[in-house]
Order: sequence, then structure tokens, then C-alpha cells
Amino acid sequence: MTATDTPVFAVGNLWKVFGPKADRVPGGEHAELSPAELRERTGCTAAVRDVSFDVRKGEVFVVMGLSGSGKSTLVRCLTRLIEPTSGTLAIDGEDVLAMDRTRLRELRRHRAAMVFQHFGLLPHRTVLDNVAYGLEIQGLGRAERRRRAAGLVEKVGLAGLEGRRPSQLSGGQQQRVGLARALAVDPSVLLFDEPFSALDPLTRREMQDEVVRLHREEGRTMVFVTHDLSEALRLGTRIALMRDGGIVQLGTPEEIVGSPADDYVRAFVRDVPREQVLTVAGAMRPPAAGEGERGPAVRPDATVSEAIEAVARSGGPAARVMDNGRLVGVVDHACLLGVVAGTQAANPREVAA
Amino acid sequence: MATAHAATPGVAGPPGRRPLLTLLRRPTAVKLLALALIAAVAVPVVHARWSGAPWPGALTVDLTAPLGEVNDWIIANRDSHPLFLYFLGHLSNAVVLSVRGVYLLLLALGWAGVTAVAAVMAWRAAGSRLALTAAVSFVVCGLLGMWVPTMQTLALMVVAVLASVALGVLLGLAAGLSDRTFRALRPVLDTMQVLPAFAYLLPVALVFGIGVPGAVLATVVYAAPPMARLTALGLRGADPGVMEAVSSLGATGRQRLLTARLPLARKELLLGLNQTIMMALSMAVIASVIGAGGLGDRVYQALSSVDVGAALAAGIPIVLLAVVLDRTTEAAGRRVGAEPTGPAVLRGARGWGLAAVIVAAVVVVGRFTGGRIWPEGAIVAVAGPVNTAKEWMVDHLYTGVPVIGGTADWAAHFTNWILNPLRSGLQGLPWWSVLLIVAALAWTIGTWRTALTAVLALAAIGVLGVWEPSMDTLSQVVAAVAVTLVIGFATAVGAARSERFERLLRPVLDVFQTMPQFVYLIPVVALFGVGRAPAAAAAVVYALPAVIRITTQGLRGVDPAAMECARSLGATRGQQLRQVQLPLARPALLLAVNQGVVLVLAVVIIGALVGSGGLGYLVVLGLAQGDLATGLVAGAAIVCLGLMLDRVTQPTTRTARKES
Repeated sequence: MTATDTPVFAVGNLWKVFGPKADRVPGGEHAELSPAELRERTGCTAAVRDVSFDVRKGEVFVVMGLSGSGKSTLVRCLTRLIEPTSGTLAIDGEDVLAMDRTRLRELRRHRAAMVFQHFGLLPHRTVLDNVAYGLEIQGLGRAERRRRAAGLVEKVGLAGLEGRRPSQLSGGQQQRVGLARALAVDPSVLLFDEPFSALDPLTRREMQDEVVRLHREEGRTMVFVTHDLSEALRLGTRIALMRDGGIVQLGTPEEIVGSPADDYVRAFVRDVPREQVLTVAGAMRPPAAGEGERGPAVRPDATVSEAIEAVARSGGPAARVMDNGRLVGVVDHACLLGVVAGTQAANPREVAA
Repeated sequence: MATAHAATPGVAGPPGRRPLLTLLRRPTAVKLLALALIAAVAVPVVHARWSGAPWPGALTVDLTAPLGEVNDWIIANRDSHPLFLYFLGHLSNAVVLSVRGVYLLLLALGWAGVTAVAAVMAWRAAGSRLALTAAVSFVVCGLLGMWVPTMQTLALMVVAVLASVALGVLLGLAAGLSDRTFRALRPVLDTMQVLPAFAYLLPVALVFGIGVPGAVLATVVYAAPPMARLTALGLRGADPGVMEAVSSLGATGRQRLLTARLPLARKELLLGLNQTIMMALSMAVIASVIGAGGLGDRVYQALSSVDVGAALAAGIPIVLLAVVLDRTTEAAGRRVGAEPTGPAVLRGARGWGLAAVIVAAVVVVGRFTGGRIWPEGAIVAVAGPVNTAKEWMVDHLYTGVPVIGGTADWAAHFTNWILNPLRSGLQGLPWWSVLLIVAALAWTIGTWRTALTAVLALAAIGVLGVWEPSMDTLSQVVAAVAVTLVIGFATAVGAARSERFERLLRPVLDVFQTMPQFVYLIPVVALFGVGRAPAAAAAVVYALPAVIRITTQGLRGVDPAAMECARSLGATRGQQLRQVQLPLARPALLLAVNQGVVLVLAVVIIGALVGSGGLGYLVVLGLAQGDLATGLVAGAAIVCLGLMLDRVTQPTTRTARKES
């Protein structure tokens, strides 16, 4: 494994069990029990059970699940805000579980910063001092940290509000402060714990755009926890869907929607407008003779709904799928309608690296 | 039968056994039944061995002799024993030196300087209105001819408050950061807060003798618990979300405490400071009994010769000090976390700099123009006119006012018709039946633990051999609590109903809640003379504000949805009150009763200074005659009585709510 493809986080068989004698549950006789049975037999709750995944550099890794599925516990285990019960955990190839307090503090100060659902701002400090707080913890001088914080306040769109207290801001503005505080320490990975759940729908949408913009501009690795499927689909490069502490399915948005791993996932994604998530690469068929010349051209990663629009505008029967000027397939009415109706065989394109 | 509804048909037994089963489903009935069983077994045995109404002599332990020996030993060894030479002596000297130092500093500042310091500090902490109040208050103290006693009390207060805050914050930090310390400390602090101030005087007087060191230390012990409690609660109440965010940024334990936990608890810390200052003032005044000097001593001396005019002249400065200190610290607490206001020039360090300059200027001008002590010529003698007015009152209002009678008549009626029967009733009841009543009450309201503590505390009073005076005190407490609750609940129902009435009431309650207990004795002596009735009246007036406030808040805090529901079903206002508000506000009502009992006891005890007798009298007598053993036994009985009364009225929900 070379240095470039070392995952930012490598999580292997991670467990977090709450309750008496929690350390006996992972790998023990009770490890396979359902949550209700486990609680009855041992009094323990497995918030995270036997979870393994890698977070790759530059991706937005979304952990998604309903409340109580263990997603918030999982993301706290990553920086040991909650101590995992067992398993392996590495950041940039370095074992996190073996870190002593000093090195763990260094990890939290410089490498992973977190944005919280309820913001966690210090009410007695101004916006500027809240943003600078992480730098203050690191021991940076007052002038320097304020200078750096001022830049970030501007970056998240709060210019002019530096002197306000958190209580004088709207929810969305408070979360911008939380975001700026996390960004201020220039971490290699940003952790989000349901950051926009407490916001109203319009503000949430705005903040999601903000995250998309930040990711596009900086390419920072992000781990994003949410219970909102549309948010997960909008932001995620890959999504881990959790239930009862375990990961049910891990894949791209298209894989989750296009080929659900089981009935639980299927029920979960049932109401998703499939044509907006699935791409033509998954819906196309090989071109028949002569089809390569006519019809509008779409890229393989265009969504089905974009292809529908293109076909409808052209008035023709099909669109050509062109990858860098090369014809790779054709989507006709039947292909596109199949996706919308959900009758088309699940055939998502291979996950691109 | 209303209770029959509780029995579901499925589990109810045959018709004949149903009433019993239904009865057993009510926890109160079960408790009383269990108690009756215990009594049925124990009472005949007990009655056969120790019959008679008062506590049997065979069951008492006479502590006066050993305590007297301890007292003699302390007096004999105060100058030689290493414990005194190397620890208590230094402590005592340090206290004397610091009080003396602060006193001299205050005198050196001169009256103008002190007034300026007070005004400027009030301005910085709470705004210009309070600055004016502070300045006027200090000038009034001077005008009344009480400048020197005021400075004596202030010097004692400054030292005691600083020590209380230091001690309280240390204890609070320990309890706030460690669960085990918190669990160990909380019951102790809770109990200390319900004990009457008088109980603290004797042990301190025993060790340190009569004088300033003892007074300061008693004040510190009395005033530190609220600081410790609120510090601990504030530190523990820090928003877990914020604390997690702080940890996630890699803060060390020290950084977490200094940059997050302590600042987040600022409101509680200031509330603790406010309560500590108010309790310290209250105690510093009462401690005049063990030689604190100052304003309290003037009131104490005046009361013992029933010189209402002199008592009032010293009492007014106490009230003014209380109001200024309370409002200033309270306003400072309210300002925490708010945006700074006022012109930018006056904010932060520059404001303080300006304040220092103003003070320095006033001090210098004061030194050149006048003396340091308030000028003799500028004293308004109020004692004379007040006493004349009082004489007039004695002549015209005490008795013989047509139809309504006079104040002395009321006091006599209250004594003859309520206090006397109650006292002879309590003293005439067999001692075991008093224990049973207490057990039944405590168990119905609280848990078996509170009941057990209450019974043990009451039994301890008997063992100490002060059953009779304790029943005397208890009868006064019961009578005063009853009056307090009747007036308090009626007022609270009115205040909960009418927004306007509550607005009128609020400033009155504010002032009354601020005044130290000692001050209440002055007007009641003027109105009713001396005796048990005036002490009870003072207790009622002292306890009323808290009872009214808690009850009003409880009634107002009733879930509006439940009220709306009752209204929509067409309930009358009386029905709403009886069926919705009162049941839902039950925890608040019980808390009001508990607070009422604790506050009434505190004043009934110090009522001994105006002739209420009972346990308080034994304490005063012990101090006056140098017979500390008698006083100490009475002090211990006061502790037990306080504990018993608190536990009897302690609802289970109180602890439950605090846990959450």
C-alpha cells in the first residue's frame, strides 16, 4: 500500500457496547444476538457492532441511519470522544486506539475537527472568539488567532457579525460559527454530527450547498452523519447505511438506490426519485447499428432525469451516451421509463475510484 | 367511593375483599397501616415502662457536666495547648488582624471615600441607578449617626464574605468535579442550609470565646454552603454539548475548566455570591450575640432595653446595606452574558480606570475638606421622635381601639387562644405519641428515610433532656407556620390569578426577602411589645414572601394545556383551581410548606431576644451567664428540631427533581 492511497480512517471490526461488562460482548457468545435479546441477557446495548470501513482521502463519507442506529456514537469513536470497546481504528495509517492522552489531544487539535448538531458554542464569547477557540486551545497568540479566525468568519459568510454573541444569531448562523471553528484549525478531516438537523428546511438546504462548495473548493475529507436520506444522497460520495449498530449497506448513492442490499434498505429508499440519483451509465443498453450518429449526447454520469429532459427536447427516440467523445451506449424511452418505474433490472455502474 | 375507580375489574378480588385491596393500593394507607402495626406492638411496652407525658428522665443523657468540663478545659488551655497555640490561635489572630485592617482602611477612606467606592462599584457592576441607591444609602447611614457601627459591620462582612467565597468555591470545585465528593457533600450542605443561625453560635463561642474571631468564623460557616452548593451545581450543569465540543478540539482538563466550565457557570457563581453575601449579613448581625459588634450589637442592646427608637436607627442601615448588596450582585448576575451597553468609552478597563480616578479624587477632596468620621453636626437623631411615636402607639393603638381592639389585645388573644393551648397540648401529649405523629406526617409526605431521620432527631431532643422547651418552641413554630400558610396561600392564589396584583406585590416581596431576619424583630416589638406573639408575628412576616413566591410560581407554572383543557370543558374558576391548579402545583406547595417551616423556625429561635422563650432563650441565657454547656445542649436541640421539621415536610419530589 503506498502513502497516497492510505485511507484517512481505517476502521476494522469496531464495537461500542454500553452496559455492565461491556468488553465481554464483542466476539463473545452474545455477539450475534438481536439488540432486544442482548439487552435482556446482558443488560448491554451495542451502539456500534462490528463495523468496518475505510474513509478515502477527499471523499464525503456519509454515515446514515435512523435515530438510535449508532451513527453518532460511531463518529465519536473516530476521535475517541467515546472510547470504542474493541476493534481497530487508524487515522492516516496511525493506530488511534494506541495513542496516549497527549497524542490523542494532538489528533483532536490538528487532524480531525467536529461540527455538532447543537453547535456547542461558548455562550460567553463573541463569534470571533468562538471561531478562534480551537486555536486558543492550541496555544496560539491572541493577535494571530484572531487574524486567522477573521478570515474564516468571512469565508463562512458571517462578515460583520464578529462581535455578536451566539445567542444573538439564528440557528443557521450559529452552525456557520461551528463550521468556521472546525475549519479554523485546518484539520485533515472534518467530522459532522447531524449538523443541520436542528435547522429549518430552507436554511438546511443553504448549509448543504455551503458544504458542497467547501468540499469542491478545498477537497477536504469529510465524515458526515445524518438521518436525512436526501441530505445523504446530495452530499455523499459514499454512504454507509446503519441499523442497530451495524452497517447494512455501504456504497455510492447510486448503488444504495439502484440495488438495495436488503428489504430494510429498499424500504428506506422507496420514495427516492430514482431518476435523480441513478445515472445513465446504469440505465443504458449497448448501441444498435446506426444509433451512434443521431440523437442528443449525454455523459455517463448524467442522471437519468437529465437524459429524459435531453431526449424529450430532441424529440427523438433515444440519447447517445458519450464518454470523452466515445460512444459507450444508448438510452431510449424504454430504458429511461424502466428506471422511473423501478422495473429496470438493478444494474448500477461499477463504482468509479 | 372514589378510590374504587382505581381497581381494575381484572385484578379486583371478590366483592367482600375489594375495599381492603383498594385501600392497600394507596401507598399512604399502606404506610399508615404499617405504622399502626409498629405502634400497636411498641406502645404498650413503652407505655408500661415509661408512662407520663414528658420525656422520661431515665432516657435522658445529661451532657451539661461533660460539656462544662470541655468548656473549662478550653478556657484553661486556650493560651497553652498546642492546638490553640499553633492552629486556632493563628486563625483567631489572622481574623482579628484582617478585620482590623479592613476597618482601618474604611476609616482612612473617610465617609466620602467609602460612599464613592460603594457608588462606583455599584455603577460598574449594575448601572447608574444602583450607584445612586448605594450613595444615598451610605449617606443615610451617616445621617442616622451609625457611621462607625456600619463600618464595623462592613469590615466584618468583607473578611467573612471573602473567606466564605474562597471556602465555598474550593468545596464547590471539589464537588463539581468529583461525583463522590458531590454525593458526600450534598446532604451536609442541604442540611446546613435549613439550620437556624443560632445553632452555629454556640460551638464557635465554645472554641473561640466571645468576640470578633468567633463571630467571623460563625458567619463563614453559615454563609459558605450556598456558594459551595451553587458552584458545584453550576459546574455540573455545564451544557454537555459545549463540553463535548471543547473536548473535540483537544482541550486539556485545565483548559476545559478555565475556558469552558467556569465561564459557563458564571450565573450560578454570581447567584452563589449574592446568597453568600446576604447570609453573611444576616449572620454578622445575629452574631452580635457572641460579640460581633457593629450594627447588630446596637440593635441587640436596644432590643434588650426595648428602646425601639435606637433599634430602628441601627436597623435601617442594616436594611439599606442588605438592599444595596443584594440588588448590586443580582444586577451583576443578570448582566452576565448580555451585550455590554453604554458608551464604548466606559467599557472594560477604561471604565474601571475612570472609576479609580473618581474614587481617588473624592477621597483626596474628602480628606482636605472634612474629617474621616461622619460630622457630629450632620446627625439626625431619630431615636427620640421614634420613641415618642411609639409611646403614642402604646397609648392609642395597643388596646381599646373600638371594634378591632388593639395590637396588644391581638397579641394577648393569639397567645391565650392559640399558642397556650398548643403548647400545653404538645407538652401534655405522651412523648411517644408525638414521635408517632411526626413519623406519620413525615412518612406520608416523604419516604421512610425522611421519617426515620425525623423521628431520630426528635428522640435526640428528648435524650438531650430539653423536651419541654423544645415543645414550647415547636408550638410557636406550628402556630406561626399555620398563619403563614393561610395568608401565604390566599395571597398566592390571588397573585396567580391577577397579573396586576402580582405586579403590585413583587417589589414588596423583593424588599421583604432581602432583609436579614434580625431586623424583623424591631417593628414587631414596637407593635406588640415583647413575648411569644411578637416573635411569631416576626416569623410570619419573614416567611411569607418565600411562601407566596414559591406558591405563585407553582400555580403559574401549571401546564397551560391542562388549564386550557379544563376551560374548554367548561370548568368554573373554582373548579380549575381545585381540580387542576392545586393538584398539579402540589410539588410547589409542598416546597412552600418546607421553606415556610425552615424560615419560621429561624426567626422563632432568635425571637428569644424579644422574649419568646423556648430553646432560643436557653442559648441566650447560656451566652449571657457564661454557661455554655446549657447553651450548647439547647443549640444541639435546635439542630435536631430544624432537621426534624425539614424532614417532616420534605417531599420526595424535591430530591428527585434535583437529581435530574
